[in-house]
Amino acid sequence: MPDTTIKASSGVARIFEAIKLPVGDPFALAGLLIYALFIVTALAAPLIAPYDPTEILYTADYDLASDLLPGQEGHILGTTSLGRDIFSQIVWGARSALLVGFTAAFMVAFIGSVVGLLAGYFGGHVDAVLMRLADVAFGIPFLPFVIVISAFSEPSIWNTVIAMALVLWRDTGRVIRSQVLSLRSRGYVEAARVVGSSDLKIILRHITPNILPLSFLYGSIAIGWAILTEASISFLGFGDPDAISWGFMLQDAFASQALARQAYHWFIPPGLAIILVVSAGFFISRGYENLLFPKLGR
Amino acid sequence: MAETLLSIRDLSIAYEVGSKDVVAVSGASFDVPQGTIVGLVGESGCGKTTMARALTRVIADNARIDGGAMQFDGQDLAALSERDMNALRWRDISFIPQSAMNSLDPVYRVEYQIIEVLRDRGGMRKAQARARAVELFEMVGIDPGRLRDFPHQFSGGMRQRAAIALALALNPKLVVADEPVTALDVIIQRQILDQLRGLQRELGLSVIMVTHDISVVAYICDRTVVMYAGKVVENCDTATLLNEPLHPYSMGLKNAFPDLQSAGTGVLTPIAGSPPDLIDPPKGCRFAARCPFATDLCRNTEPALTEAAPDHHVACHRASEAAVLRETAKDPATWGAVT
Amino acid sequence: MSTLKPFLIRTLQLLLVLWAVVTILFLMFRLMPGNPLAAYIDPTFTAEQQEALIRQFGLDKPLWQQYFTYLGNLLQGELGDSFRYRTPVAERILLLLPNTLILTFSSLIVAYTFGILAGAWLAWKRNSRFEAAALPAVLATRAMPEFWLGMVLLAIFSFSLGWFPAGGTRSAGTSYDSLWQLYTSANFLSHLFLPMMTLAIYSQGLPLLLMRSNMLDVMKEDFVTMAKIKGLSPSAVVIRHGARNALLPVMTSFAIAVGYQLQGNVVVESVFSWPGLGRELVNAVAASDYPLAQGAFLMIAIVVITMNLIADLLYTFLDPRISHA
Ligand SMILES: Nc1ncnc2c1ncn2[C@@H]1O[C@H](COP(=O)(O)OP(=O)(O)OP(=O)(O)O)[C@@H](O)[C@H]1O
Ligand code: SF4
Ligand SMILES: [Mg+2]
Repeated sequence: MPDTTIKASSGVARIFEAIKLPVGDPFALAGLLIYALFIVTALAAPLIAPYDPTEILYTADYDLASDLLPGQEGHILGTTSLGRDIFSQIVWGARSALLVGFTAAFMVAFIGSVVGLLAGYFGGHVDAVLMRLADVAFGIPFLPFVIVISAFSEPSIWNTVIAMALVLWRDTGRVIRSQVLSLRSRGYVEAARVVGSSDLKIILRHITPNILPLSFLYGSIAIGWAILTEASISFLGFGDPDAISWGFMLQDAFASQALARQAYHWFIPPGLAIILVVSAGFFISRGYENLLFPKLGR
Repeated sequence: MAETLLSIRDLSIAYEVGSKDVVAVSGASFDVPQGTIVGLVGESGCGKTTMARALTRVIADNARIDGGAMQFDGQDLAALSERDMNALRWRDISFIPQSAMNSLDPVYRVEYQIIEVLRDRGGMRKAQARARAVELFEMVGIDPGRLRDFPHQFSGGMRQRAAIALALALNPKLVVADEPVTALDVIIQRQILDQLRGLQRELGLSVIMVTHDISVVAYICDRTVVMYAGKVVENCDTATLLNEPLHPYSMGLKNAFPDLQSAGTGVLTPIAGSPPDLIDPPKGCRFAARCPFATDLCRNTEPALTEAAPDHHVACHRASEAAVLRETAKDPATWGAVT
Repeated sequence: MSTLKPFLIRTLQLLLVLWAVVTILFLMFRLMPGNPLAAYIDPTFTAEQQEALIRQFGLDKPLWQQYFTYLGNLLQGELGDSFRYRTPVAERILLLLPNTLILTFSSLIVAYTFGILAGAWLAWKRNSRFEAAALPAVLATRAMPEFWLGMVLLAIFSFSLGWFPAGGTRSAGTSYDSLWQLYTSANFLSHLFLPMMTLAIYSQGLPLLLMRSNMLDVMKEDFVTMAKIKGLSPSAVVIRHGARNALLPVMTSFAIAVGYQLQGNVVVESVFSWPGLGRELVNAVAASDYPLAQGAFLMIAIVVITMNLIADLLYTFLDPRISHA
């Protein structure tokens, strides 16, 4: 027993080493800091948000607190036409974004890595079948696919996650596959085989650690994709009307004529929140790229 | 002796790496007489390419010409304005690179790349340039029918010939060839060197032939400049260098390469050790750490390049004992393990 | 010719992918919960009328039979009738396709023209302070939700400044003799401008970043150094040799971008009420008009798949190392 725990912990240590968080890169560091802020906001939403995001609020004179401008009646970002606090919605929106972003990114990176590993490692028919599947996935228009899925199921943020898991593994899968092929061609897989290591052991010991940073690169891009997709779906009205998300806020604003009424304080903040979090993912992925492909150097 | 076409004096070139300088060429001096082939020979990293490229003044972003003069045909290349220098490029000084594969643009036909330079730099009209391209291909022995090929459709030897054709396009006064045959096999090497020699005689060209291979020098160069760690250590006509070298490094080089004419015979003795760090070079003779004849004087004082014999320049404290040292140098054991 | 065989193989692969997508689509629409006709059937219909309808749509047959009927119909370009409009889906889609294609291509042409020039320029300015500010800005444009950008442009340039109309393809009450006259009218173009710019601003990042990094790589190549040694003019060096080589992968990405853009269209068309395929898909799905939704999806998928193939071929065609192997 103690033997296995030691092994496990050294495995974990190895994974952390393999992930190589790109903290040295200023871009990536900025991205990681934004993520930290984002995660804290999402987790501590009830503490940070002054109001319940769906609560319909009233002013001191018992009027509906609708369409208040930022600062009025103590509402930092004002209120919506229905009298909901915009700032609280932004804070709670971070929760949906965090949930969608990280689960979808995990699924995409995981499925893509497994597909890439299997295709690259076993080659032959396995490779042929998996890569044709990837071709099919590349033939599916993603957003329309999510829309159709959302239409057929209960409105929920998980639709986005499922659709991403079903389709978006394709890019990760292809890249990981070619990485595995190049690892194989370097010959040490053959070497491990000669020594009598099993396939599973070779994959886990020798190949996986080498592709983990790539998986993370694609995962950090997928976080952004997930948040953008969820926002689009909510905006189109296929989202869960009970879960406050940034996309829902934008849909709410759009449908409530916020544009014509020049209520910038309503629809600008959710957009900026999305940009901030999504670009943080891009910055981190850029850091990984510099780490993995230093020739791009700057 | 022929008139001097190019005269390099005390030339230094440094690369900035971080906050440090790699002095790749330091205080080099030599001449290129009109109508001769001058070899520039030395180990990898001794500064040959740096020197060759300085003559075109197209150098790396982090490179800096740190003083000295390159007197070419009455003007100092180091002091010319960028505009005047550009006027001179290819018309007066052309360049044959080591890897012709990467030096030809993959997306244009070879013909286009020859015509481009004839029109842009030679002021020719299209029809005229076409005819000249055919003539050039015939000169270097490629079927002009292949002009319409893309570079990747050429063999290595053909690409190198095309690069030579390109270099001769505008009848330059000086051709700088940076290891033009290094990437090729020995038979093709010899063919191309023969061709180059023939064209050089026919056109009265002056050529600087950069190579790390002393057998190429022996085969084609009239004069030879030996470089070591950024310094010119010996400079004389090739026959003298091969038969009566004055510098121990030249003696060692001779043992380290096979003869191009009789490939594969004789024992090769490489010079043990590696060249010094160019960021922080040793204070005495740069070759001292690997020289079997080094003395305390060598390790402490740098030998100057002096004319030890008529038209024979060398930078070695023990040049006067060369005749004796040469005998010792013939024994492979001499080069065994020098620390 | 040796380029023919890979071309045929790729085309065959494309047809297989198309078939797979078509099948997935069929299964998705048939296996969904609920009666697909629910939205179509008026509560006032009698039981016989309902059954007649079910027979009319072939929904009483076993699934595999439905599948083959569906495939057979598709091969004849028969997509069924829209529930809502009660007109053939194919007709409706062909009517909307030009709007979507005009929006897509105009925005991508603007995006690529700008992106290629700006990317080459940024490569030229590498390590400058300008670059340090421009790069995160470009990344941020890629991080924007397209519909949000559309909303912002709409709020500013339409509702606030009144420079451009708020939606549609033309002003109410205008009519044109031919489609060509409509598409070239100032009226149409002023309607096109905002959605086009929205998509263009979002899309320029890809060609820009690609061009920039390719340019940085190419400018280090030996043939660029040689062009300088030849004394060619800076413009010949940078454009003729640098940019020409760096452009190759960027051009290929154009075809792929068309596919991605079609997906982005879905939201942007909705913001600007642009009568295109994407908006139609959204409306059809919202109204449970499944034949129309299916048709719109299929059309988008066909364009995406074709563009993937064209990207492949373009690469082969533009790179002499492959086309003249
Ligand atoms: N761009 C550069 N930045 C920093 N150092 C450089 C650069 N280019 C060359 N050097 C260094 O300068 C020295 C001389 O290089 P150079 O290319 O001139 O040598 P060489 O004699 O041509 O060698 P080779 O036979 O390998 O071509 C080497 O130590 C090399 O590492
Ligand atoms: S100076 Fe001394 S160390 Fe240098 S080459 Fe001559 S003998 Fe050798
Ligand atoms: Mg060199």
